[in-house]
Amino acid sequence: MQGVKVIDAHAHLHHHGNPNWSEDDRKLIDAADKLGIDQLCCSILPPERPTRMESFRDCNRYLAEAIRRFPGRIRGYCFVNPGYTKEAHDEVRRYVEEHGFVGVKLYNDYRANEPVVFPIAELAIELKIPILHHAGHVSWLPSPQPRISDAGHFAELARRYPELMLICAHVCGGGDWEWTIKTLRDAPAVFLDTSGSVADEGVVEMAVRTLGAERLLFACDMSLTASVGRIRGADISDADRKKILGANMERILSRRSSR
Amino acid sequence: MIDVNAYLGHFAFRQLRHNTADGLLRFMDRKRIDRALVSSAASITYRNAHAGNEEVAAEIRNHRDRLTGCAVLNPVYAGWQDDLKTCHEEFGMKALRLYPRWHNYKLTAAACLDMVHKAGERGLAVTIPMRVEDRRQQSWLVDIPDVNRDEAAALIEAAPRVSFILTNGSGFTASRLGRKNNGLPANYAIDISLLTAELSNEIGQLLSNLGEDRVVFGTGMPFHYADPALTKLEILDASEAVKEKIRHGNARRILKL
Repeated sequence: MQGVKVIDAHAHLHHHGNPNWSEDDRKLIDAADKLGIDQLCCSILPPERPTRMESFRDCNRYLAEAIRRFPGRIRGYCFVNPGYTKEAHDEVRRYVEEHGFVGVKLYNDYRANEPVVFPIAELAIELKIPILHHAGHVSWLPSPQPRISDAGHFAELARRYPELMLICAHVCGGGDWEWTIKTLRDAPAVFLDTSGSVADEGVVEMAVRTLGAERLLFACDMSLTASVGRIRGADISDADRKKILGANMERILSRRSSR
Repeated sequence: MIDVNAYLGHFAFRQLRHNTADGLLRFMDRKRIDRALVSSAASITYRNAHAGNEEVAAEIRNHRDRLTGCAVLNPVYAGWQDDLKTCHEEFGMKALRLYPRWHNYKLTAAACLDMVHKAGERGLAVTIPMRVEDRRQQSWLVDIPDVNRDEAAALIEAAPRVSFILTNGSGFTASRLGRKNNGLPANYAIDISLLTAELSNEIGQLLSNLGEDRVVFGTGMPFHYADPALTKLEILDASEAVKEKIRHGNARRILKL
């Protein structure tokens, strides 16, 4: 789309335990080029759970290197396990202040409403950066991720910290998307990323109708054509499409740069 | 452009839009899709799946130039032989769609093989959606895994003279179905609706492993947006001649359109 910087708000580069990490990182950038994605907000996650401190430190170091390898294309989320209270806090501050990372990525080590997450939320508020939080809502099976967060947990965290910029991850890869969208209706501070492999028609339209385009962030989470396609195909105004594709994320990222 | 993976009617667990013949045609016009193979979304959960075929036949009666009917039948339900005859001879349907997980049978069951052979004798193609919905978002009422790829391979092997189209699937290259020189007859094609055209590029791998005649265009509309599949075709690293086969040539041959 002309006249808008397209920002993928949820992407991943590859852990160096993957022998093909360098080639796979390059493939992601090449695919972004083909699809007109200007910037990717990335984190790197380790393969093991729960996340050890050494592991998240490795991931953030790999990511800082990648940001230098692909100048102007990658923005960094600092990935931590909030259970390491002091070390996670120090890691986020260091990577934001010294390496220019733009946010925090949390996975499923803890639920978003657990007190152990509060110090990271407070730090994110202080640094004026968003937290992108892994999410999913599955209604019928025992979750293979027992501490996965859903929109209800985010709404609770957002009530406690209304000034926090919290992003609920992958509405199209996190189970019942209708439930997620409806649950976030009354949590106006929570953004929703549109990524995921599920190509269901109508997701974006319902999210715009229920939450407003201002709260939606284009993202792929590595499902690139599904994610680009759903924004291209959504029956929404071009003005709303521009907000989703990049303007909203730019607004989030500008809060820190305009301190 | 021919879409081999399209639906009409209501689905039990989620509201669909563009799910009437007129609505789907308007949607297809916007996406420049000329023709679609359509089956009943309701038949996925109807006990008597044929009631959905009757609904689809009535919907597409005046649109057969663009909407081609596809029967949904259950080989372990009463009367499928009569229903197959009706779908073919009266409704003019060109294919049969199977839901083994939802209709509670195995693709390798004798009853299924019998129905597939009967469809093949009538010149109908057989399509198998590997999934209806992502399992993570299914209703609390159901627990339906994807169709087992090895089971699909066994059926394909057991019915070498029948033409198959596998839709709504991925991960084929990790199974026998997507491997080069896999020993299976070349009687099946795979639709692109849930395949990748970038990163792992499963479409490219299937073109290389199975050949350019074995990949077809499908969207899953109106369950799915059409644009993900259109975007895949746009960025696919393949010649225009190959893309034309994917857009319509292969489907036209398999469905005898």
